[in-house]
This record gives sequence, C-alpha cells and structure tokens, in this order.
Amino acid sequence: MKTLFHINIRTALAALLLSLAPVLSAHAQQDSRIQMGALDHLAAKASQTVDVNIDERLMRLAARVFDDKDEDEREVKKLIANLKGVYVKSFEFETEGQYAAADIEPIRTQLRGPGWTRLVNVTSKKEGMLEVYLLFNGDVVGGLAVLHTDDKELTVVNIVGPVDVDKLARLEGQLGIPDLGIGSPKNKTKNDDEK
Amino acid sequence: MNDDYLWDKTGQPDPQIQQLEEILGTLRYQPKPLVLPHKRNYFPLLAIAASLLLALLAGGIWLRVRSRNEAPPQQASVETPKPNFEDEPVGTPKAPVNKSVVNPSPVVANNRRRNRSAPSALPKREREEALMAKEQLMLALRVTTEKLHLVHTRTQPNQIKNQHRVG
Repeated sequence: MKTLFHINIRTALAALLLSLAPVLSAHAQQDSRIQMGALDHLAAKASQTVDVNIDERLMRLAARVFDDKDEDEREVKKLIANLKGVYVKSFEFETEGQYAAADIEPIRTQLRGPGWTRLVNVTSKKEGMLEVYLLFNGDVVGGLAVLHTDDKELTVVNIVGPVDVDKLARLEGQLGIPDLGIGSPKNKTKNDDEK
Repeated sequence: MNDDYLWDKTGQPDPQIQQLEEILGTLRYQPKPLVLPHKRNYFPLLAIAASLLLALLAGGIWLRVRSRNEAPPQQASVETPKPNFEDEPVGTPKAPVNKSVVNPSPVVANNRRRNRSAPSALPKREREEALMAKEQLMLALRVTTEKLHLVHTRTQPNQIKNQHRVG
C-alpha cells in the first residue's frame, strides 16, 4: 500500500510538472524584458523624455492597422509579428551630470544576467557609450537591448521576442524612419537602382 | 427394503442410492468466508485531475497578476518642457543626437497619412487605440534604428582601418 501511495504521488507530481511546463516556459521567455522602472525619477530632471511601452497585446492591435497593400508597412508587420514587446525610455538633459552611474546600475545588472550577450560596446568622448546586447535562448535571439549613455542623454531600448536585427536595420527610410544607411549593401544597391 | 435411510439416514442404504450420494456429494454446499469484490482505487486519477486543476488555476492567477503588474502600455509620452532661453548662453550648440528621436511629428504625420488606407474592421475605440499603438511603435523603432545607426557609424571606421591593415 505504501509503494502504491509513493507511485501515486510520483504520478501526480509528474502530471503537475507537465501541466506547469507551458507556464514555466512562458515565464522563461519573459526574461528578455528589462525592468526600467528605476529610471522613472530621471523624468523630472530631463528636458525631453520618450517613454514607450508596447506590450504583446498592443503589438497585435497595432499590427491590425498596418496596411498589407503597402510594401513598407508589410515589412514592419512581418518584423513585429513574433515580438512580445517594445519598450523605450530616453531622457535628454539640459546640463551634464543629471544622472549617475548608480541610476543605470539596475539596468546593467539585468543585462549581466544569464542569456544576455554584449555584442557591441562603443565609447567615444563626443557621443558617450553605446552598448548593444542580445539575449539568446539557445541559438535563437530572444531579445535586444540598446543602452546609450551620454553626458546629456540616457536611452534604453528593449525589444522582447525573436527580433531580426537585419530586418530592423532595413527599416530605415520606411514609414518616417529616416534612411540612416545601415542596411545591407545588397539592399542599398536595390534602393539606389529604384531611385 | 427399508426407506428409513432416505428419511433419516438409518437402516441399510441401497447401493444405487449410495452411488448417487457419492456423485452428487461433490456438489454439496461447502461453507466459505464471505469475500467482497475488490474496490477500485481512484486515487491516482483523482490526484492527476487535482494536479491539473491546480496547475490551471496557478497559471490563470499568474497570467492575471502578470497583466496587472505590467505598466499601462499605452502611456507612451514625449515630454518637451518649454526651453528656458534666459539661462542658456548665446551660441551654445544644441546636442543634435536626440532631436529627431524626441520629436515624433514626422512619424505621426506620416502614419496618419498612411492610416487612412488601413482596414477599418475594428470598432472605433479599438481602432483609435491601435493607431496610437502603431504611432508609438514606429517611434520606438525609429529610436532603435537611430541607435543602431550610431553603433554602425562608430564601428565602420574601425572595420575600414582593419581592412587596410590586412590589405
């Protein structure tokens, strides 16, 4: 009877774990979301603030008003199709020294977490420090984060979900996004030909 | 022949009757202890069902809590206080980096123009929300591409230098 009881408990636990698996995996996928609440107090000091929070629901909703007949909009729609969220916080200050390194530390702590890889780190006296991070779930990109810290500027961009950086770069010049010249050479040639 | 044997088993039995007794004797009632049929154990099934129910409940609660904890998503904002020209020294160049980022008007204008051709199957309120979300999404993508562009322009000269070195 005791053995039977043990088997039952094991079966129940296995069933519980199996049924919780989707919930747990969904939670694991949310790890690429960076909590930016620690930066909110900087809005009071900033001369200009950009704060964008678009979760998956709004993303789906926005996708419904993209015009499928328009090639550009179709591209953006494809890009955001699998994304879970886009979050941006950007502060511009009138004077230097309005924020300290400690203010960004909560963001950096999250980006030092498992899965995140710093792809690029560029520092210059003129334009501050620019870092690009990617979150990998195995071989798949699960999120993107860009951190730009300058004397008078602080910007954090967080894209949650499988983001295609190449596609994102190709968005330049579309839908009011200025052509910044970071598309692939192939596309550049194509665009030039069209002109 | 005496029939008492058939009545009370006394007297001389008939051989045929004895033979019949032997044959039928095997079918005589034999007392046995009462054994009830084994009751089926439903515990494993109940345990699994309860676990699934608990898991679904936990999942539901988690999703609800998660959606509540999330910041109001449609609250994207672009704040631009009035510039204080008195404090600003004459001839101070403005930082050009974020000007195009924080001024969403070209994106908004462009999107408004394009949104006219978008499908209007959504209810009015939902459609307004969708259009607002779209504008904010475009603003976010614009900031992102600008930052990626900055990264690109800063890393490009290094690549060219390296190519020269290799060449």
